[in-house]
Amino acid sequence: MNANRILATMALIAGVAGAASAQTATQSVTFQVDAINQISFSGSPSLVINTATAGSAPTSATAGATWAVTTNQTGAKITASIGSAMPSGLTLQVNLSAPAGATSAGAQTLSTTAVDVVTSITKLAQTAIGVNYSLAATAAAGVVSSTSRTVTYTITGGT
Amino acid sequence: MSTRAIGAQTITVSGNPGLLRISTAVAGSQPTSVSDATRTFTVNTPPGGGGAKYNVSMNIDANMPAGVTLTATLAIPAGSAATATPVALDVTPRLALSAIKKNYTGSATMTYQLAATAAAGVVPVSSRTVTLTIVLAP
Repeated sequence: MNANRILATMALIAGVAGAASAQTATQSVTFQVDAINQISFSGSPSLVINTATAGSAPTSATAGATWAVTTNQTGAKITASIGSAMPSGLTLQVNLSAPAGATSAGAQTLSTTAVDVVTSITKLAQTAIGVNYSLAATAAAGVVSSTSRTVTYTITGGT
Repeated sequence: MSTRAIGAQTITVSGNPGLLRISTAVAGSQPTSVSDATRTFTVNTPPGGGGAKYNVSMNIDANMPAGVTLTATLAIPAGSAATATPVALDVTPRLALSAIKKNYTGSATMTYQLAATAAAGVVPVSSRTVTLTIVLAP
């Protein structure tokens, strides 16, 4: 009788031990992260020159906007250009503030040839970065009716 | 004999998820995460054992690269009475599904989400082995 009770107890313990043992399954998960370089600009600035100090060239006009960037590369840069040349005597400049750790080229005159405006952008995501436009005109430019230019910004990935 | 009635809990999966590939972002935001919910898992728990309940934990064989997060979410199998917790996977087993009732068999979807910060940089194709373990809850 005692022997039977001992055997039954041992069997129960063995059964519980079996249930407590771990059972596993495995999966293989494959992943990758591609090179990502994205920029966006907000706002459509308007620049109007309508005054001057007597004896000086017309007073320049300025306007602001913002831009944002995401890159997961090192040393990305941004260039800017416009689709067609400015009227004679008018100069459109742009100055992009630099995101953290990057370098701004300062005020750059826009033309149909792309020019670097920000360099050394490295692995960041940042919004609400300032951009300032400046329009200058000589008196010789005369009156210029409302016209527009599309500024094309291009981000080129680093390494 | 009680040993025959209790048996052992099991867990199986329906194969490997597809490639998780991050390739874009909204400018100013971190890269856009991606997910895969094409696979399922099946759990089986034995009868008996009083108020026995079972837990599923998950871990990977090597930590993810810095700035890259692989999160697994196990949906709750219908009628299992379990609770689920999304798990950011690393080498430490972490509880993904808890308190599955005894004497239960059921399946549900498993979702993997891959997230990366910009600081993570470019990550070439890599893989991790995910281990799902079902044990008797303490």
